[in-house]
Amino acid sequence: MSEQKLQSQTVQTTGHAWDGDLQEYNNPLPAWWVYTFYVTVIFAIVYWVIYPSWPFGKGWVGGVSNITYVNSAGETKTHSWNTRALLMEDLNKAATAQKPYFDKVAAMSYEQVAKDPDMSGFILSSGKALFADNCAPCHQAGGQGVVGFFPNLTDDDWLYGGSFDKIHETITGGRRGYMPSFGEVLSGGQIDQLANYVASLSGIGHDAAKAAAGNTLFHSETAACYYCHGVDAKGRKEIGAPNLTDNIWLWAGVPSAENPEGKVAAIRSVITSGLNKGVMPAWAGRLSPEQIKVLTVYVHELGGGQ
Amino acid sequence: MAVTTYSGAEQYNFDVVKKFAVMSLVWAVIGMFVGVYIASELAWPFLNFDSPYFSFGRFRPVHTTSVIFGFGGSALFATSYYVVQRTCQTRLISDGMASFTFWGWMAAIALADFSYVLGYTQSREYAEMEWPIDILIEIVWVTYLILFVGTIMRRKQPHIYVANWFYLAFILATALLHTFNNLAMPIDLFSMKSYSLFSGVQDAMTQWWYGHNAVGFFLTAAFLGMMYYFVPKQAGRPIYSYRLSIVHFWALGFMYMWVGAHHLHWTALPDWTSSLAAAFSILLLMPSWGGMINGIMTLSGAWDKLRTDPIMRFMIVALSFYGMSTFEGPMMSLKEVNALSHYTDWTVGHVHSGALGWVAMISFGSLYHMMPKLWDTKIYSRKLVEWHFWLATIGIVLYIVAMWISGITQGLMWRAFDEFGNLQYSFVESVAAMHPFYAMRAIGGMFFLTGAVMMAFNMFMTIRQGKRESAALEAKLASKLAHA
Repeated sequence: MSEQKLQSQTVQTTGHAWDGDLQEYNNPLPAWWVYTFYVTVIFAIVYWVIYPSWPFGKGWVGGVSNITYVNSAGETKTHSWNTRALLMEDLNKAATAQKPYFDKVAAMSYEQVAKDPDMSGFILSSGKALFADNCAPCHQAGGQGVVGFFPNLTDDDWLYGGSFDKIHETITGGRRGYMPSFGEVLSGGQIDQLANYVASLSGIGHDAAKAAAGNTLFHSETAACYYCHGVDAKGRKEIGAPNLTDNIWLWAGVPSAENPEGKVAAIRSVITSGLNKGVMPAWAGRLSPEQIKVLTVYVHELGGGQ
Repeated sequence: MAVTTYSGAEQYNFDVVKKFAVMSLVWAVIGMFVGVYIASELAWPFLNFDSPYFSFGRFRPVHTTSVIFGFGGSALFATSYYVVQRTCQTRLISDGMASFTFWGWMAAIALADFSYVLGYTQSREYAEMEWPIDILIEIVWVTYLILFVGTIMRRKQPHIYVANWFYLAFILATALLHTFNNLAMPIDLFSMKSYSLFSGVQDAMTQWWYGHNAVGFFLTAAFLGMMYYFVPKQAGRPIYSYRLSIVHFWALGFMYMWVGAHHLHWTALPDWTSSLAAAFSILLLMPSWGGMINGIMTLSGAWDKLRTDPIMRFMIVALSFYGMSTFEGPMMSLKEVNALSHYTDWTVGHVHSGALGWVAMISFGSLYHMMPKLWDTKIYSRKLVEWHFWLATIGIVLYIVAMWISGITQGLMWRAFDEFGNLQYSFVESVAAMHPFYAMRAIGGMFFLTGAVMMAFNMFMTIRQGKRESAALEAKLASKLAHA
């Protein structure tokens, strides 16, 4: 009964049957489906009119929407919509917002910038963005560095000096740290003595007799460590030779070694192989003088500025 | 009616269908497990174990290849061989060729997965296999095409059923896409390494012409073919509209070929190319929905089945996700929306609403319908099917919601400027913000994987049950014959 009712209400099938009971009704296309399709056609046409769309001759149809921007030469240009112009427009906007602050930075001394509460917000914001884009890949997001690779910028220990001027010099010209290898100049025993002496300077467990011999060697012409690290082993900032007495380690994996023997071994390996990887690139030319100034203040304020 | 339920071992080649059906479940479990693993790596990076063999970069193509080509591909081989034989009332034209497609396809996927782990890749998304594997796939695929077309030509029915059009479009388009996207010059005959024939932006364009049409023809058209057979079969009702199926078939095929460039908004691709593609993506919306309408309207008049039939529920949820993701896709292809969504997890979420919601769910439903019929028995446990349905549905929702939130958060964080005209967040801050959503996504994946494992177990028991029943039947027959 209900079967009959259903049959009379519905449209006809196409009359074919597959695999026993597979059939198809021949309902018309749903009207809303057809009309929505027409709406999408209109939408597509409007989209093509607004944006660059179809290839035409050797170029393309540019579309009616335009973007106006100022290029790097300072000329105002108007272009049909394109990704590059849009980027230029965005950069123009950002530059406009930043300009008054950068102008101020340029006119002030480091000390003034650092102390001016109005500027601190800008330094924090701009410095953070600059640092994240340019410095964080090596020095890490917080400036804490990586032992064995990149110096920590948040402590009081500075290879080349932590004053505004020195930080500025480092960022502008870059740095190249170097220590010769002693593996072929000194015997294994001598290197071990030196390593024990260096460990003793930072209060790390060591062999006293070896350390005493190392002390002599350190200040002798044979090893001549004092040339660079100084008679007091506190380093020479003019050439980036580190202080060996503060228990702060950049190259030797001392902090991660579990026992005194391991720590001495880590020092030994640096003396044996030397170093030629303390390279920081120069940023002059890549960043504007104002940006370098902002970064200088930002790095100075990370915690260790002197 | 007796004929339609008859397993037809002599009439049809069901051996190859069975093999592909079983392997599709094996690849589903493997591929989804790897998926859950790499999702967990993103949330808990120690899982990389500092080893290249465990790294996300190598496992990711193992996941995509195993689920798309292993699980999805095997399900398509199985169902297309099943459907073409039953709706043409004829056997596949060659058992040897059918068997070759099975072993060739399995070898291609296994080799591809191993080569990725060893570090070999073309770096083309969804086409990472290096050239020797590409050649193997090419041979398998051409065999598949000949076998499918040959079988249709030998049909005992005057008309070709709609499901077969979709399968055929999929096979043809995939052959075309695979061939042109993989044109490459090996550096020498004994090296796995090759260089693409295209360079720069042309290379990117070719890759995304392939990439999006792989979505269009492999993951959409082919599974619509599956839908056009298994939904009316399971519902026991005729397809809603023959006319709609013709119109949306041709519209879908025509529109899809244009839209690949919308993957390359905001890149070096000329702007006109990507906005042309964006507008075609909008035009594609209604043709895509034609399939959903035809599927869902086929059920109208039999809605009560949704309450009682978990298999039907898989199919309806699949169609709903199909409708949702084919709406979301065109929206994301618009330049202004894409400016927010591009390069974010939103894209990942979108892909998975299509892949889990549509492709996997329609495959599960179809396999649940087909596998008991192949082994001439009933499903071992309907309760497990219910469990699978809910685990899968909850898993998808967790996955997509996590990726929506994290994707939109990423997009907003990357473009946020502060009052000084500086970017407000660094990239690493956006990475840190993703952590809870990455964990949520991994958990969603675990739900989905658990459901798939249940299904594999359920089908294993179903097959065992089917074999026992037929053995018992034969023993009975033998003893009757002996007594007679």
